Amino acid sequence: MKINHLLICGSLLLLLAPTLSHAQQNQPSIEQLLVEPFLDDYYSNVVYGYEIITDTQKHASRYVGNSLDCSNCHLQAGTQKEALPLNVAGMYPKWRAKNGKRNGIGLRIRECFLYSLDGIMPPEDAPEVLAIAAYITYLSQGEVMGAEPEGRGVPTLPATGYDPNPANGRSVYLEQCSSCHGEQGEGIEEMPAVWGLDSYNKGAGMNGIREAAGFIWANMPFGNGKSLSQQQALDVSAYLNLQYRPADPRDSKFLKLLEDLFN
Amino acid sequence: MGDWRTEVFAGFVGAILVIPQGITYAYLAGLQPEYGLYCAIFVTLFSSILGTSSMMSGPNTAVAILIGVAVLPLAGRGSPVYIDFVFLLCMMVGLIQLLFWLLRGARIFQYLSPAAISGISAGAGFLIIMASLDSILDLSTFRTTFFYEKLYVIISDATDLVNPYSLVIGISTILGGYIGRRYSARYYIIIAVCTGYLCGLLVAFIWPQPLTELEYLGRMPLQWLPFSIPSVNIEYLMTSIKLVPYAFTIAFIGLAQSLVIVRELKMETDQDIDLDKEVYAQGLANFLAPFFSSFVGSGSFNRTKANRSLGATTPFSGIAAAGFVLILITFLGPVLTYMPMAAMAGTLFIVGADMIKWSDVKHYAQVRSELVIYLATFISIIFFGLATGIVIAVFLSVSVFLLRISQLELSVENKDSGTLLKVKGALFYASVAHLTEKFQSHFGENLTVDLQYTTHIDQSAVDFFIRESSNMAAQGAKLTLLINDQQRRFLKKLGISSDIELISL
Repeated sequence: MKINHLLICGSLLLLLAPTLSHAQQNQPSIEQLLVEPFLDDYYSNVVYGYEIITDTQKHASRYVGNSLDCSNCHLQAGTQKEALPLNVAGMYPKWRAKNGKRNGIGLRIRECFLYSLDGIMPPEDAPEVLAIAAYITYLSQGEVMGAEPEGRGVPTLPATGYDPNPANGRSVYLEQCSSCHGEQGEGIEEMPAVWGLDSYNKGAGMNGIREAAGFIWANMPFGNGKSLSQQQALDVSAYLNLQYRPADPRDSKFLKLLEDLFN
Repeated sequence: MGDWRTEVFAGFVGAILVIPQGITYAYLAGLQPEYGLYCAIFVTLFSSILGTSSMMSGPNTAVAILIGVAVLPLAGRGSPVYIDFVFLLCMMVGLIQLLFWLLRGARIFQYLSPAAISGISAGAGFLIIMASLDSILDLSTFRTTFFYEKLYVIISDATDLVNPYSLVIGISTILGGYIGRRYSARYYIIIAVCTGYLCGLLVAFIWPQPLTELEYLGRMPLQWLPFSIPSVNIEYLMTSIKLVPYAFTIAFIGLAQSLVIVRELKMETDQDIDLDKEVYAQGLANFLAPFFSSFVGSGSFNRTKANRSLGATTPFSGIAAAGFVLILITFLGPVLTYMPMAAMAGTLFIVGADMIKWSDVKHYAQVRSELVIYLATFISIIFFGLATGIVIAVFLSVSVFLLRISQLELSVENKDSGTLLKVKGALFYASVAHLTEKFQSHFGENLTVDLQYTTHIDQSAVDFFIRESSNMAAQGAKLTLLINDQQRRFLKKLGISSDIELISL
C-alpha cells in the first residue's frame, strides 16, 4: 500500500516538475507587505524602497532638490508599462552613453536623484539607494535576466514627417495639461511641476524631446493615455523643452563663466 | 554663572559639530537621519536641563553601533517595526540607568585616577580622528579589526579609495582651523567650517558633482515637536527579551563615557558637579528620548571638549546647542544643504587632535605607575575600543590604589627596653605581610608596636599579633602594643589575648 502511495506521489511530482520550475515562487504583494508587522531585512528594505518611490519628499528628502516624487514619472510606483517601469534589475550593469561608464543599478539610482530630482548625489552606500535597489529587484521578479522587459521605458514615437512645433505645443498644453500642471508649469496640488525651479533639471532624461514625447503620448493626460496624437505629444514636449528649469549639473559653472567672458 | 554670551556661542559651535554626527550615527543605528538630529536636540536638552555640568550629551558612536547590532536581527533596517524595537530598547536603557542611579553606582567611577581619565580622553580623541578620516577621504565604509589595517589599506590603495576633491576640502578645513586659532581662539571652529564650506563651493563651482561625487549634508526637514508614543504590546515584549543584554551593555557604555567626561570636568574645572545627578539626568533623558522620536545617547567627548575650550561652564550651553540644531536646520536648511561632509569631518579631526595632549604624557611621565595607567588605557582603547578601555582603566586605577594603601610605613627605633616599631597606614590582611618581615628580623627581642597612626585594624591583624605573641613568649620575649582607647575597645571585641600587653596613650 505504502509503496503504491509513494509511486503515485512520485509520478505526480515528475509530471508537475516542469511546470513547477517555470512557475514563479509567489512573492507577497506590496499591499500584503505593508500590513505585515514583522519583516525580514530584504522585505523591509523593499517596503522602505516602495515608500521612497511613492513619497520621496518624506522618505528621501535629504537628497531631493525639487518638489517631485519618483512616482511622478514611474507611474503606479514603477509598475505601469510604458511609463518607465522599474522592473529592470536584470538589465544592469550596462554601459550608458549618458555618463560614458558601465553603470550598476546603484549609480543609475543615484543619478536619478541628481538629474530628475535635481538634488545631490547620495553616497553609494546610502540606505535610501540600497532600499530602492531592493524594491527594483523585487519588481523584477520573473523577468528574464539580461533581456529588456516588455514595455520598458517609454514608447519610441515613429517619425511623423513634421518637426515638433512648440507654438502648437503651447496651445495643446494650455488646453489639455494646464488644468493639472498649471499655466506656469508649477503643478497644482499633488500634480508635479513640469518646469521652473521645482521641476527636473536640464540633465534629466525627461528633458529630451523624444523621451518626453513618448511618455506624454503613452500616459498623458493622466488616466487617459494615448488620446493625444503623436504629433501633439511631440509638440508639447518641444514646448516643455524650451521652458526655464535648473541647469544641467554636469556643466561646470566655471567653464561656463569663462565661455561667457570670452564671447 | 559665567557670561551668558559665552554659553550661547559654545552652544552654537556644539550644534555645528553635532549635526553631521547625528546623521552618521543614525545610519549606524539603522535609522533615518532625522532620528539622529532629534537625538541631538532632545537628549542634549533633557540631560542638560536635569544635569549639573557643562557636558554635551547626544548621539554617540558606540551606543549607535550597539543599537544597530541589537535590533537588526529582529526587524529590517529602518522599517516601522525596527523603529518600535529601537524605542523599546531605548526605554530599557533609560530604566537600567535609572536603576543604576538608585543603587548609587556612580561611585565606581570615583576610583578612576586622573591619569586614567586623561588616557581615556586621548584614546577617544584617536578614535574620533580615525572616524573623521572616513568622511575626509570619502571612503565608503569598510571594517577592519585594528586601526593600522585601515591606514594600510588607505595608503596602499590611495588612488582608488581616496576622493581628491574631498581630501582638498578636508585639508583646507583643518588648515583653516589651525591658522584661525592663531588669530582667534574663540572662533576657530567656525572659521574652519566656513573655510571648508567656501572651499566646497569653489570645488562645486569648477567641477560638477557627477565628476567629484562629493557627499553633502543635504536637506533635512525637521518637526519642532516630533512626539511619538512607543508601542509596547505583549508580542513585542516577548521578542524584546533578546534586547535585554544589549540594553545592559548600552546602559553601561553610555554611563561610563558620560561619567568619565564628568569626572574630567570635575577634575579640571571648578564646576559644582554631582555624579549621581548626572546619572539621573542621563537615565531620564534616555528614557524620555523615544517619546520625542529619538534614540539614546550619552556624553560626547569631542563636543564637551570643544565646549570647554570655548569657556562654557554651565548646563546652559547644552540647552543652547539643542536649540541651535533646530534653528540651524530650520532656517539655514538651503545653505547647509551644500555643506560638504568633508568640511564637517575636518572640524571633528581638529577636536580629536586636541584631545591627545603631549603635555599630559610629560605630566604623567614623572610617576611610573601613572604613566603605565595612561599608556595602558590609551593603547587598549585604540586597539579594543572605548568600552574595553574604560573597564581596563577602572581595573588599573583600583589596582594601583589598592597596592598603594596596602603599603605600610614602618620605622624601627632601638630602645633600652627593646625595639619600637611605628606603623603608619591601614593594617589589614593585604598589608600584614610587611609586618611579618620586620617581626622575623627582630625575632627573640622584646617588641613594642606603636599603633596610634594606624588607620584601620582588621581581624587578620589581631590574629597575627596573637600568633606572634605566643611565638615570642616561647622565646621569652614580650609583645607590647601602644594604642588609643578606641583601638583598645576594638581589640577587646576582636578577642586580643592576655599575652599581649596593651598600653593606652
